[in-house]
Amino acid sequence: MIHALQRFFDALGESGIRTSPAERIDAVRAVEDVGVEDAARFRQALRATLVKRAGQRVAFDETFDRFFVAPGRAPGRRRHRRAGAGGESGEQKNTQRGEGQGPGVPREPRQSSDRTRRSRQRQPSQREESQEMRGKLRALGQGQQERWGRLRHVLAKKDRAGTGPLTSGRQSAIALRELRRGLSGEEEQTLAREVRRAVERIRLRTGRRLRATSSGRPYMRRVFRDSQRTGGVPFRLPRRRPRHRTPRVLLLIDVSWSTAPSARCFLEMAGEFLRLGRQTRVLFFVDRAIEVTETLARWLDRRKPGSFDSLLRSIDGLNLDAPSDYGRMFHSLSTSSTRPRGRRTVLVVLGDGRTNVFDPLDWALDEIVQGCGAALWLVPEPIGVWGTGDSALPRYLPHMDTVVEVGDLRGLTRGVTEMLRRL
Amino acid sequence: METPGRPQRYTLRMRDAKPTTPEAIERDFLEQGFVCTGEVATTLYLAEQLKKPVLLEGPPGVGKTELGKLWAGFHQARLIRLQCYEGLDEAKALYEWAYGKQMLYTQLLREKTGDLLSGATDLREAIGRLSGQADAFFSREFLLERPLLAAITSTEPVVLLVDEIDRADEEFEAFLLELLSDYQITIPELGTIRAGRPPRVILTSNDSRDLADALRRRCLYLYVDYPDYDDELKIIEQRVPGISDKLAERVVRFSQSLRKADLRKQPGISEVVDWALALVVTGADELSGPTLRRTLGALLKNREDLDHVMSELSRFRS
Repeated sequence: MIHALQRFFDALGESGIRTSPAERIDAVRAVEDVGVEDAARFRQALRATLVKRAGQRVAFDETFDRFFVAPGRAPGRRRHRRAGAGGESGEQKNTQRGEGQGPGVPREPRQSSDRTRRSRQRQPSQREESQEMRGKLRALGQGQQERWGRLRHVLAKKDRAGTGPLTSGRQSAIALRELRRGLSGEEEQTLAREVRRAVERIRLRTGRRLRATSSGRPYMRRVFRDSQRTGGVPFRLPRRRPRHRTPRVLLLIDVSWSTAPSARCFLEMAGEFLRLGRQTRVLFFVDRAIEVTETLARWLDRRKPGSFDSLLRSIDGLNLDAPSDYGRMFHSLSTSSTRPRGRRTVLVVLGDGRTNVFDPLDWALDEIVQGCGAALWLVPEPIGVWGTGDSALPRYLPHMDTVVEVGDLRGLTRGVTEMLRRL
Repeated sequence: METPGRPQRYTLRMRDAKPTTPEAIERDFLEQGFVCTGEVATTLYLAEQLKKPVLLEGPPGVGKTELGKLWAGFHQARLIRLQCYEGLDEAKALYEWAYGKQMLYTQLLREKTGDLLSGATDLREAIGRLSGQADAFFSREFLLERPLLAAITSTEPVVLLVDEIDRADEEFEAFLLELLSDYQITIPELGTIRAGRPPRVILTSNDSRDLADALRRRCLYLYVDYPDYDDELKIIEQRVPGISDKLAERVVRFSQSLRKADLRKQPGISEVVDWALALVVTGADELSGPTLRRTLGALLKNREDLDHVMSELSRFRS
């Protein structure tokens, strides 16, 4: 929170309200006292300690709104490229809940008639959303429903029986263990071996697929044309030369403490197949996204066991102690010039979707996904706890194509394979 | 309630440690007839938690001074009020030596002084003997406490209300800085007096002149503006018992429209409350021309404003 306040003080300074260190200390102490649960009190505490003149109030409120109140979707922006993308659960809820609620700050009661009317409409509770999500996922898994929003495929632990070569390998205890818990030194070594095995299995599978298509598809029109000219003797089967188009991959990796072990294994596996920098960009995030492609590439080249934590600590701007804020991260990415564009772009998000009760801003994810050809979400949690507590997965999943449960190493293998299938 | 057998000091602290939350402040103020917004409650709560003075700024008549009084009532503390004006100096605000008393004591102790000086061979020796005793005439015995010193030295909970600080000179503002930041005062003859129990300090300003940054930075700042329609209606219903809903709404609408007009002095809350009371006392149930002519003096305090409003009565009543 102190980091967020520090950035807010800087923003105030840019708006013409300069604050002294003593005032900043007072502001931090005031926020500690009133908390951030009540947005109005949070604003009042900052205003009482930082504003010293009547004329500064307007500038303060504008800066506060810009900084803490999440913006709504731009009015002129196209909302759905594809029918059903986002669907009811995406768009309708956006208009009800997306505005006036800022990252880190719950909705503030206002006098505005529009907002008052909106707030009077009944909104589904978190439990209802979670139950609805389970029903939809179950229906998708059992084939009773074709899609939920944009989501078509749910690959969870129970579905793993028929996945063929991926599950036929040696099954060690570590491979089935949830990676969220800490590992001992021996388990770390076992895990490293298992990761290498999993990589080999994927490599074999991927290699076969690539070999089968390396010479291109048969070019039937040309078969007839060539055969007419020569009478079919000798018979040649011309093939279309596949155009080499490098797919772009954007990896959004939640590296907060609960997902960091899964993130590390995933990156070790994915790093074997992706050319970081040329075709793949990697962004780490906790409360905001940080580009780490080059740093990660260097780390993958000379990684040591257990050094992932030190890698995370060495990244400038990455605050591992901050509460995860998916909404802010998605919003900043959707408005940045580097947001993914092009139908060959594959978006992969690895995270548990736990937003610490911050606004999920799922419409921002929707806008990002609309610029991508495929969108894959890897959830390092058992499917039984998806949508519980502060998880915003019920809001995010309808915008994705595929969701994979990657709670253990075999799930991660599945996730990496799914990603490679889309390249 | 004091528990028998406990030391007095302990019970005093317990009584002072009233649980303070913004909600409790709002509730308590409402019980005392003051409609307190969340912003006011939060600022007072923070003042308590951070041990900081509060600077209340806003137009006259919006309840800034009243807020100070209520804050004292909330804490069951003694209110010490210092009304500022041009020319206010240390002698009026902080302390003064009781010259009359000093002179009287000097006369009464003349013989004792003679004894002290007897045997002195020269003037230098006599002065040396006197200078050792001079401090007796500049001790707390001869010090007249003014509001600021009284607030600092008080052993009981105190709310110090420095009212209309913008009327005082800039020198006085500078003089207050030490008090507001460290809750201490320096008296050259006595040294520095530090508050054993820091007083709760509220400063009010009508914004008639710009206060120094140094003063503002030492305070939590709260701008108290005219209330909006809903809040003002609540205030009228709270402060004017017996007023009908219809009349209260009309009164508030009228006062709100006056504040948008180009008047020399816009009506504050206290004037609107007085006017509503006047309407209730006169038995008025609507704002007719004759009723307004009889009672509008409670609301507007300027001849030109009265003429202006009466000439365009229909516009303000609509």
